[in-house]
Amino acid sequence: MEQWVLVSIIIAGYLLLTLTIGLLAGRRSSDSVAGFVAADRSFGLLVMYFVTGASVFSAFAFLGGPGWAYSRGAAAFYILAYGALGMAPFYWMGPRAASLGRKHGFVTQAQLVTGRFPSNSLSSIIALVSLVAFVPYITLQMRGAGIVIEAVTDGHVPLWLGAAVAYGIVIVYVLSAGAMAVGWTNTFQGIFMVVIAWALGLYLPFRLYGGVRPMFERIAVERPDLLTLPGLTAAGDPWTWGAYTSLIIVSAVGLMMWPHLFMKAFTAKDDETLRRTVILFPTFQLFLIPIFLIGFSGVLFAGQPPAPDFILPFMILETGLPAIVVGLFCAGALSASMSTGDALLHASASVVVQDGVTKYLDLDDRAQRRLMRGIVLLTGGIAYYFALDPDSSLVQLLASAYGIISQLAPPVVAAMYWKRATTTGAISGLVAGTATAFFFFLNPELKLLDLHEGVLGLMVHIPTLVAVSLLTPKQDEGHLRGFFS
Amino acid sequence: MSLKTARALTVAYLALMTISVTWPGLLPFARIEPLILGLPFSMAWIAGWVAGSVVVLYLLDRVERRYRQEGGD
Repeated sequence: MEQWVLVSIIIAGYLLLTLTIGLLAGRRSSDSVAGFVAADRSFGLLVMYFVTGASVFSAFAFLGGPGWAYSRGAAAFYILAYGALGMAPFYWMGPRAASLGRKHGFVTQAQLVTGRFPSNSLSSIIALVSLVAFVPYITLQMRGAGIVIEAVTDGHVPLWLGAAVAYGIVIVYVLSAGAMAVGWTNTFQGIFMVVIAWALGLYLPFRLYGGVRPMFERIAVERPDLLTLPGLTAAGDPWTWGAYTSLIIVSAVGLMMWPHLFMKAFTAKDDETLRRTVILFPTFQLFLIPIFLIGFSGVLFAGQPPAPDFILPFMILETGLPAIVVGLFCAGALSASMSTGDALLHASASVVVQDGVTKYLDLDDRAQRRLMRGIVLLTGGIAYYFALDPDSSLVQLLASAYGIISQLAPPVVAAMYWKRATTTGAISGLVAGTATAFFFFLNPELKLLDLHEGVLGLMVHIPTLVAVSLLTPKQDEGHLRGFFS
Repeated sequence: MSLKTARALTVAYLALMTISVTWPGLLPFARIEPLILGLPFSMAWIAGWVAGSVVVLYLLDRVERRYRQEGGD
């Protein structure tokens, strides 16, 4: 049998297994909005750990991580640095959000914010901001899945078909089972990708250089520029400390503001589970080490992949691994893509319906569920359309998505912790911050010290929120008591 | 240890970590040699802070849990 046929069979088997897990999990979920969006608030530690880990590490980490290590060297270390920093405050914020959620029935973060700052326009802005950040992120996941399948089947399964099949399956289980399916498939996919990453990350350096140390010793002699922080730009020039530092800060601030991650606070069974998830998260983070090793193993390797993001499939195919390993690797990469993609699709539908549509239309529980399923299909369709169009600005869009999503942090924190904050203050800050981030995204040459546009946005956002809040009358005491106590 | 001290120490660790993995705290450690467990020094340095955060958060949780139990929360 030809290798690509065998690889395709393994991939098909893997996809079938994922679908089965997703559908079986859905049978445990209740037929309600709380069931679809928040899995009836039932996730225990095992599921929460992998849901969080697998949703954070997407096709961007699995393909982009080695790609960065390969082409930009030490610059990739930023990915390792920000995760633990971004997650840690959630030890306190998570349980607080969860307790407010249980009390007021919140299932999205916009509901939390507008529960404190009652305003339909604020809710719509948050929904819009989330959606704008979501689409390029989902597109990237779909392209990632398509690229991997096309590469390892020698082009016999083209990108459009690979992406369509993988995401067809994601849509089936998200539609039928919502958060419960996302949780259980991510547990399976999370275990899978961690095992694959460690196995390959140690195998490649040993196979090609006789170990991790000899590999880095050789790179240090032949390409010291690559191992020197802050690494290189995409063009191969030395990167700036301003860009490196601000990318870590904006990613740390933005990380837990992604609705698909923040909403996990509402899916946890109890606060204890949330806290343990936060404590254990950095252990998941360390799986980036083998991911980088895979990328570095390609640096002194003869031959070049068509683009840095292809370094992983390229190394797998070029080092003549048996078909079974190629198939399993492919399943690992698909896991990374699908476990983030499903959470994104699911969250985008929840956010659009809960925070956008129901603010203006009165829908019953059943109609909401039906509408959310429609939005999953619509968002999936839009992202698929972009995934087929190899638009080079997508990676740039994703970096900017972090700039936009990090603007949700000030209103969320103010809603939960700062009693003097006002609705006008929250809206002004969000509008000013998002506009600033967007302005510098469009005019990168004007950026101060090469700082990330999201950080520049926050530098305008936070003072605006504070100043306008202090200039507007304090919120009604009764409203504050009702919200907090 | 009191809850207040534990929280202050945790925040201090996170603040120190933020400075140590970015400019300018990273500058003295942004070097390749010596390799630690085969990894470039800067990579091992950042990984060390990440691993350390697990320990710090675990210790914080022990204190927090004791206080929650006492408070009947």
